[in-house]
Amino acid sequence: MIGAWVCLLSPLVGAVAITLAGGRISRRTAGWISTLTTFVAFGGALVAFFGLWAADPADREQVSTAYTWLESGDFQVELQILLDTLSSTMMLIVSGVGGLIVWYSMGYLAGDDEERRYFAYISLFVFSMLLLVQAGNFLLLLVGWGLVGLASYLLIGFWHHKPEAVAAAKKAFVMNAIGDATLALGLVLLIWETGTLTYLGVFEDVDELSTTTVNLVALGLLGGAVAKSAQIPLHTWLPDAMEGPTPVSALIHAATMVTAGVYLLVRASPIFEAAPDVQHLAAILGAITLLVAGVVALVQWDIKRVIAYSTMSQIGYMFLAAGIGAYGYAIFHLMTHAFFKALLFMSAGLVIHHLGGEQDIRKMGGLKSVMPRTHIAFLAGALSLAGIPIFAGFWSKDGIVAAAFASGDALGYTLYAAGLIGALLTGLYTFRLYFAVFRGEPSELVREHTHEGHGEGPMSMLVPVGVLSVLATIGGLVVIPGVWEPFLHWIDETAEPLVHATVAEDYGTSAIAVSLGLIGFFLARRAFHAGRQLVTSPGVWRVLEHKLYFDEAYDALFYRPAAALSVALRRNVEEPVVERSLDEIGAGTIQIGGEVARVQSGLLRTYAVAIAFAVCVLVVVFVAVR
Amino acid sequence: MDGPDVGWYLIVAAILFGIGALGVMLRRSPLIVLLSLEIMLNAANLTLIAFARQQGDLDGQIFALAVMAVAAAEVAIGLGLIVAMARRRMLLDVDQASALRG
Repeated sequence: MIGAWVCLLSPLVGAVAITLAGGRISRRTAGWISTLTTFVAFGGALVAFFGLWAADPADREQVSTAYTWLESGDFQVELQILLDTLSSTMMLIVSGVGGLIVWYSMGYLAGDDEERRYFAYISLFVFSMLLLVQAGNFLLLLVGWGLVGLASYLLIGFWHHKPEAVAAAKKAFVMNAIGDATLALGLVLLIWETGTLTYLGVFEDVDELSTTTVNLVALGLLGGAVAKSAQIPLHTWLPDAMEGPTPVSALIHAATMVTAGVYLLVRASPIFEAAPDVQHLAAILGAITLLVAGVVALVQWDIKRVIAYSTMSQIGYMFLAAGIGAYGYAIFHLMTHAFFKALLFMSAGLVIHHLGGEQDIRKMGGLKSVMPRTHIAFLAGALSLAGIPIFAGFWSKDGIVAAAFASGDALGYTLYAAGLIGALLTGLYTFRLYFAVFRGEPSELVREHTHEGHGEGPMSMLVPVGVLSVLATIGGLVVIPGVWEPFLHWIDETAEPLVHATVAEDYGTSAIAVSLGLIGFFLARRAFHAGRQLVTSPGVWRVLEHKLYFDEAYDALFYRPAAALSVALRRNVEEPVVERSLDEIGAGTIQIGGEVARVQSGLLRTYAVAIAFAVCVLVVVFVAVR
Repeated sequence: MDGPDVGWYLIVAAILFGIGALGVMLRRSPLIVLLSLEIMLNAANLTLIAFARQQGDLDGQIFALAVMAVAAAEVAIGLGLIVAMARRRMLLDVDQASALRG
């Protein structure tokens, strides 16, 4: 267990050290402290992982308690971490990918005025995320849940001189607060009904709860997961969150934090299995999100927004998997997605860095010749995302779609169809982006920024991208259906799956999904060479450009009524009632004070007479009362 | 116990206290007011000692000593104030010193 504690606390030490050191250390030192503490955490995670690997399978659910944190009657919450197959996998993903991205940010942010603040925040984030995945009870999970939301808010708004960044940070925080609230309500209900919040205690009691209770708890948890993972209907914050620095998008809004919802669905699977309707709702929301986000990604112009919509879409796949009970595949896709999506963001970051901050793909083009290594990295990520064989995304995504088929009935087949259409959309938007950025003739902007001897970026950026390119290429080889599935067996020990696809279903689905992905590729290629857009109808284009009017609808439904109500309350209650009554209380007090002050005559003898008189009255009272 | 009954002492103390109180309330010279205050304090001392004698313990007498010490300190300040007023050529009349009127 020592490894797990080191893993948890090392980034916290880093964050505290950078904060306390302040201006006394150089920006570079702050970056190294943050990077090294994250890699120490990765080392701790490795130790914990191999310790668990070597342990007897019956003993792979280890709880370590530091001390009792809260105590109230019979109810107590301990500061405890749970190390099992699921949490050790998440620890490896978070600290490993996290370490690479923190390292990358040293190059990306070099020269920024407030690098030290950035590294303190990002260390805080890594700690919070590790707390979230290692927590041994729901309350600590909620603490981690809130802290990652805070870190995300701080980092989206890192460039606080940009009004859009500040607005995006606020939006992310508010949308996440909705999910935090439903999650907290679910937990309160759990305390009420079971009297405990430890995972093991709750899962033992879950069968004895009434259907209504379980459904409400599951809905609360699902609300939290939907908000954190940017699923419809709480998804609008994620595209705006791209205002933050690119490494933040890679770490928080692609690889780790936004997948916390999937982790929660898998972690709390006994609760969701007791509430199958809510679990299916998760799958349906995932399917809707993967389609909507995939379609919207077809028309976006901002390189990071395209990848952000793709993230929503891929998390939709994970929700789909967790919703039908294919937990192993949900976590598997979470892992491969962390690899290839972090890779895509980081190569996009290299491009943005090279072009001096430009993010509009209309001004890009022909970067293949200028940035050959970045091109290869991005291509590896794109192929993995589109699910082309042997690349990581192929193994995980097709597994999810096959599991949807295997779960049978109308819902299963609908989800199956959604997953396949999603595969086509993925191929389309991924390669639309790829062609627009890297192929064709170098654009004016690209030529402007290309000078002799100007490399593609500093080593601290290129090495992590290289490592992730390798992982995005071969990282999926831990699951080959029917041949070698150690990853799935590993996760199955924590969350037993509800569906198993046969080998034939697996490979049949793969054949269809890969062909659809390739069709997407060729359509995108043809459209690019013909100079056409993928969406040609102007009406559809406009709807998609407005992201299906979600922001406008929320604005009209929630923001404007709330604002109108506030103004009305101010005008009709605050000003006439509250403010005026306060004024009158003040005026009254002054007047009474003036009257009372006249008693203070300044005549010493009057005071003496008053005292003597009072004493006489008191004497009379005492005598009479006795 | 020798001497008169404790009731006589209390009557004398009450008369002294009344004289002192009337002096404080009626006279306008600060010197006389201070003197009257002393008379009131000594009336209180007299009751303390009378009861101490009656009870046969020393507590009341010790308390009377403490009152004397406080009275001495109070007179010192009071006389100091009167001297300060005289030096500023203010009228020695407590009714005139009413600057703290509300």
